[in-house]
Amino acid sequence: MDRNASQLITRSLIAEVTHRCPLHCLYCSNPLELKLAAEELSTDDWKRTFDQAAALGIVHLHLTGGEPLARKDLPELIRAGRNAGLYVNMITSGLGLNEQRMVELADAGLEHIQLSFQDLDEASANHIAGTRAHAHKLALVPILRKFPWALTINLVVHRMNLDRIEEFISLAEQLGPDRLEIAHVQYYGWALKNRSLLMPTLEQVQRSLPIIEAARRRLEGKIQLEAVLPDYFSNFPKACMGGWGRQVILVDPTGQALPCHAAAVIPGMNFDNVLDQELSWIWNNSEAFTRFRGDAWMPSTCLSCERKERDFGGCRCQALLLTGNAEAIDPVCSLSPDHNLLIDLRQPSNDPLPIWRS
Amino acid sequence: MMDSNTIPKLAPGCRLHPMEEILLVPEGALNLTGPTRDILLRVDGSRSVLAIAEDLCQQYSGANIADIQADILGLLDRMQQRGFIRA
Repeated sequence: MDRNASQLITRSLIAEVTHRCPLHCLYCSNPLELKLAAEELSTDDWKRTFDQAAALGIVHLHLTGGEPLARKDLPELIRAGRNAGLYVNMITSGLGLNEQRMVELADAGLEHIQLSFQDLDEASANHIAGTRAHAHKLALVPILRKFPWALTINLVVHRMNLDRIEEFISLAEQLGPDRLEIAHVQYYGWALKNRSLLMPTLEQVQRSLPIIEAARRRLEGKIQLEAVLPDYFSNFPKACMGGWGRQVILVDPTGQALPCHAAAVIPGMNFDNVLDQELSWIWNNSEAFTRFRGDAWMPSTCLSCERKERDFGGCRCQALLLTGNAEAIDPVCSLSPDHNLLIDLRQPSNDPLPIWRS
Repeated sequence: MMDSNTIPKLAPGCRLHPMEEILLVPEGALNLTGPTRDILLRVDGSRSVLAIAEDLCQQYSGANIADIQADILGLLDRMQQRGFIRA
């Protein structure tokens, strides 16, 4: 494999337009240190970035955060994405959304909305979100359905709610989205602090699999169900982000371009900023995007492995977070000398306390 | 199952890319091969499967309308199963 990006066409831009958020989810994937409102890119900076993204071959723009609705210029950002030729998706908590605001977003050309739910019942959902949000989200769905965009409902699952997955799917079904995503918590950013609280047991995961598969078949043609197994329960690593620097560019609220949400945890990484560099230069030439692109960095076990074209060496951030070495074999892999770390982590400790962002 | 009289439309959040041979869908893009783009261009929520087949028959002169209609139904059924087409 080649470190050169000339053969690679990036397809998605994840635009973290703000880190401001009314929710304080226990499993937040944003970094521990959030960017401040005063540091955020301007409307024009984002417009220029969207144009450069489209020129690079990107087709999907994911507006996320934090909570994108915290940006007053959100309709303008959506319009700029559409004018650049991008497909515009927004990932939202729904807090700050009402019918008038929906009209503005729809007029601007928003094509897909993803709304996440934290649990079935209000008390537990609000506990996990660190905010009273559940009842508002439920009330929003019938209004969201009046608009022509696609609606995805995300069920974020973990040890505290995985045993109720069947009822959770029924709730989502009654809400009638176009798509339903069942997403296990990924242990990066803030979520890592609550790992021992949130990590499901192997028995929970195994019980959930036939329930999810039955729902997928039952809903076929009505609601498209996507579910991803947590990689801590696998013997081979995930192709994280479709491979380092292969498909996705993430731009954080201040304009730093990263290969993934978590890459800043890797020591010695320098991230170029869209205020200083063209996105195409960042994609093709920057240290951050080329560091783990291709196979030159790989340990010999990965280099000689036939799976390297499928998983691209797994997740570098996870390798670092679990072993202290970003160049190590992803410990999810059964060929890793550190694979026993995962076996230990699958045993949740007793009654850990939740930790919210202050 | 769809038939000649079904009036199909693209599901919410699905649209053809203006230049590339892909259908943009939530969280992804489908590569379009053969006549798929020509078929989907005519899936507009007002034309029936039969009307789409008749229209394509004129474009591909010499083609048999029954064969074209069967191809269209096969494609649209598969896409409906995956959530990209509504009937």
